[in-house]
Amino acid sequence: MNKDFKRDCVDLLRSKYEAGQLNRRTLLAGLTALGVSAVWRPGKAGAADQLVVVNWGGDAIPAYEQAFTKSFSTATGTTIQIDGSGPLEGSMKTQFESGSVRWDVCDAEPYSALRLGRAGMIEPIDYSIVDKSKIEPGFADEFSAPSYFYSHVIAYDATKFGAKPPSSWADFWDVEKYPGKRTLYKWMTGVLEAALLADGVDPAELYPLDVDRALAKIEGLKPHVASFWQSGAESQQLLRDGEVSMGFLWHTRASLTERDTEGDVRWTFDQGLVTPSGWTVIKNNPSGAKTAMEFIAHCQKPEYQVILLQELGNGPANPAAHALVPADFASVDASSKENFARQIAIQSEWYAEHFGGALDKYLALIGS
Amino acid sequence: MGSVRQTQVLQTVLLWTLPVLVLPFYIAPLLGVFEWSLSRPEPGLQNYVRLVTDGDVIAVLLRTFRICLLVTLISVLCAYLLAYHWVFGSPARRLIMEICIFIPFWISVLIRAFGWIVLLRTKGVANDILLFSGVISDPLYLVRTEFSVVLGMVHFMVPFAVFPLASVMRQIDPKILLASRGMGASASFTFFNAFLPLTLAGIVAAIIIVFVFSLGFFITPAVLGGGKIVMIAEYIYIQMFQTTNWGFGAALSVGLLAIVAILSALLFRVIRPERLVR
Repeated sequence: MNKDFKRDCVDLLRSKYEAGQLNRRTLLAGLTALGVSAVWRPGKAGAADQLVVVNWGGDAIPAYEQAFTKSFSTATGTTIQIDGSGPLEGSMKTQFESGSVRWDVCDAEPYSALRLGRAGMIEPIDYSIVDKSKIEPGFADEFSAPSYFYSHVIAYDATKFGAKPPSSWADFWDVEKYPGKRTLYKWMTGVLEAALLADGVDPAELYPLDVDRALAKIEGLKPHVASFWQSGAESQQLLRDGEVSMGFLWHTRASLTERDTEGDVRWTFDQGLVTPSGWTVIKNNPSGAKTAMEFIAHCQKPEYQVILLQELGNGPANPAAHALVPADFASVDASSKENFARQIAIQSEWYAEHFGGALDKYLALIGS
Repeated sequence: MGSVRQTQVLQTVLLWTLPVLVLPFYIAPLLGVFEWSLSRPEPGLQNYVRLVTDGDVIAVLLRTFRICLLVTLISVLCAYLLAYHWVFGSPARRLIMEICIFIPFWISVLIRAFGWIVLLRTKGVANDILLFSGVISDPLYLVRTEFSVVLGMVHFMVPFAVFPLASVMRQIDPKILLASRGMGASASFTFFNAFLPLTLAGIVAAIIIVFVFSLGFFITPAVLGGGKIVMIAEYIYIQMFQTTNWGFGAALSVGLLAIVAILSALLFRVIRPERLVR
């Protein structure tokens, strides 16, 4: 019997079994007849029919189930496991170098995808499967396709600054006009840009970033920085408890804090530093590149993107989705035309080249 | 004859179990780390050169040592007092000491770090009490400072210092102290000239345990330091996962291991800790 045909028979049996049309005994008899019973057993899904999607955990796990994975399982019969351990660049590199990749699709930093991709560790996005026209123009990268957009924004204590709210990073740096402590992001993404904008750099001439100038500006603010937060929850706690009067936050966390404090904390997209997160596929992923790309393409559907916005506040990657956004979510939609216009896009290209060295300098500064 | 042979087989198996486990699961990966430090991104000693010449790295190392020394000093001092009361106190006091030592010992390091945040933050319990009692008029920034990192680390390390100290104190023959007092020595003279020297081995053991343990601290400084207190363990993590500079991360690990080994060897030579396990 032809090998591929045999595999097809197994697939048929399997799908019938999973649909409940075959009982276990008949299935095993069928598999034995094909001489493959040792290869696959029901209940123990092999690597091929399970797709592992990796994100950053927490609320994002149920949200991804709602938005993307349930519908994909229904449509294709592929079971999906969401792993919330976080696709850090080092973790993805470990997977590739160990020779036994366990992750199929990672929700990673686009610059990590670029860096690892140039080192030959990442599968280039197959734009014959993933639809380029369903991606915000200018963000279809070689090694990652946007999964959603999020922004680094100014959040502030509205009980103190409600009358004259801050609207720029220059305001954020101005501790005379806006007294109180600040919080910045420990892993640096967006912070250098904020510092340069505060220092008067024209948004159009931001890149390549002048790291030394940015660090000097941050050094000036450092005595007023209560904490360099490392987790989104920490950034919320700092503002909610009034430990800081203004913070550099992810817009998703800022919006949650506004809701939790019933408006005592507010935030703005003005001068927000917006960036996509990128679907990334490590080379030699267990389910194969094609299945992974099909999953990415599946997630591009506007309806699913809007679910993610409603669940997590993440802005759609597909411009067609904005038309479907309910009115009460329009103000948190980081990638809608009007909100995008108020923000500045982070350049992954710069980070791919300079992140490591700049982060070392940045951490040396904040730790001194 | 058969039983002798069986015993020999059993001895061989028992003798070799540890080396057989240690070799593939510890020595081999360790050699791998060593190899990385010399081969990534390219073969050479550049990672080690950076370790001793890069001012930012040296600053992290010095900060780590400063904090660890401070933590060791405070922990061992607190532990000495605790151990004394634990060993020589009345039964009721001993019970209180046991509760004070063991309850924190059993609680996860992460939970304790967040516990300190709840206590020390601007709107936390400590500031509430101080404000209410009128000691201060504005809340103090207690958390996310070096102070809170040291506090959190001391809190974690004290029980580890209590055990070796209590162990040596239990071995002291009370007759010696009685003899000292009987010969006319004052209480403080007896303490400094009879009691303290007899506990020296325990002090050194406690210092080694606390200092070496502190060097590897990661969660407590990361949570309580407000991102500003980066110590060597976290710095290695950053090199591995954030900047993926694996060769340099490996070199830092080897350096840390070497420092710990040298310190331990030195202290082991000064006082022979094997005396503790009589």
